[in-house]
Amino acid sequence: MVKFGLEFVPRELYWRTTYYAIQAERSGFEYLWITDHFNNRNVYVSLSIVSAYTDRIKFGPGVTNPYLCHPVVTAQAVASLAEIAPGRVLCGIGVGDKTTLSMVNTEQVKPLAAIREAVGVIRAITSGKDAVSEGEVFKVSGVRLNFSIASPVPIYLGAQGPRMLSLAAELGDGVLINASHPKDIESALGFIKDGATKAGRSADSLDVAAYTSFSVHEDPKRALKAVVPVVAFIVAGSPDVVLQRHGIQPEIAAKIRDAISHEKWGDAFGSVTPDMVEAFSVCGTPDECVEKISRLVKLGVTQFVTGSPIGPNVRRSINTIGTKILPNFKG
Amino acid sequence: MEATSIVKEIPASLWETTAERLTDLILSAPSGFRLPPGLVHSILYIWQRDQLATETGLCRLLEAAKIVDAEKAGAILAEIGVQAHTVASLREIKMPWKV
Repeated sequence: MVKFGLEFVPRELYWRTTYYAIQAERSGFEYLWITDHFNNRNVYVSLSIVSAYTDRIKFGPGVTNPYLCHPVVTAQAVASLAEIAPGRVLCGIGVGDKTTLSMVNTEQVKPLAAIREAVGVIRAITSGKDAVSEGEVFKVSGVRLNFSIASPVPIYLGAQGPRMLSLAAELGDGVLINASHPKDIESALGFIKDGATKAGRSADSLDVAAYTSFSVHEDPKRALKAVVPVVAFIVAGSPDVVLQRHGIQPEIAAKIRDAISHEKWGDAFGSVTPDMVEAFSVCGTPDECVEKISRLVKLGVTQFVTGSPIGPNVRRSINTIGTKILPNFKG
Repeated sequence: MEATSIVKEIPASLWETTAERLTDLILSAPSGFRLPPGLVHSILYIWQRDQLATETGLCRLLEAAKIVDAEKAGAILAEIGVQAHTVASLREIKMPWKV
């Protein structure tokens, strides 16, 4: 049975995120992911306050990266959270966002090695073991926490490319796939299954999460209006291979990218086509969203994450999801 | 005047709607950053217990709504049928919070 998660970007005032987290838990969501970018509110501060006002929902950074936050510090942070909320803490990790990393002159050095080593360090430390890494990116010698936590923290890898998806299948407790369309999910699942086979494990042991751009409203036009800006940014940041998979000309994506970089929002958002919305979001009325989610579940998605913008009014959209979408997926 | 005096003017059958409308106002107000942490934590505590549509919950929501946008808060009260003189008294409610 598919589980539902929610993604928040902590651009909002901390108490608004916390309000929505309480609402999400009550509405039947089982997971909460908060993004980690240095220009927003700190992810662990945000999660700490969420942990204080919720009782069941599982949560974690979705996702942090090992370049700006050393794996030993990430391990310390999630372990500290796990002391506050035992059994509810997760750790999502990926290679980070090139744009924000470049602002602090940081490169995604040896991404596969960095993630492999970081996962090893975080898993060892949160399991109460000494972390030792003589890796290509991280050298760690005998790091151990001065406190222990009740249970290890499940680690989810944020992945898009074939090799990172394969690595996620090898190392992860779960994988967060940044995609909304069945074509992209199907392609990712192929790499995940291959990776799991190579690692000698079953892909069924992984929690496969579709991390979608989501917008729901009874009026499909209002759902669409809310999601268009997010889709514009996704199109602008997508590699040509992904654009071509959906029949989107890279030249149009370049035009949107250029408009965004010059803050010409009307041009950028006005260039978003229905095909782009279809390719890069799950958007529409509750019934339409149920149909689109069902397609992803049939492919093998085990966690559906409703990401930004969620809808034109976040509070009402969470209510709509809880009352009109989730019940369709409960046994 | 205490916020509770205004809440007593709202029919109990409209508490749920009033709580939702005031909550939407607070969640969307650009001046949300002006809310004092004590008031915010009180609202979250009450919300966690699903008690915003109660006398205590509505009092805290009214206090918050007055801080973020007194005019819109008054309009919401007027729309749900609270008498004009009570709506006007929203501006006079005592705030137990340092704003």
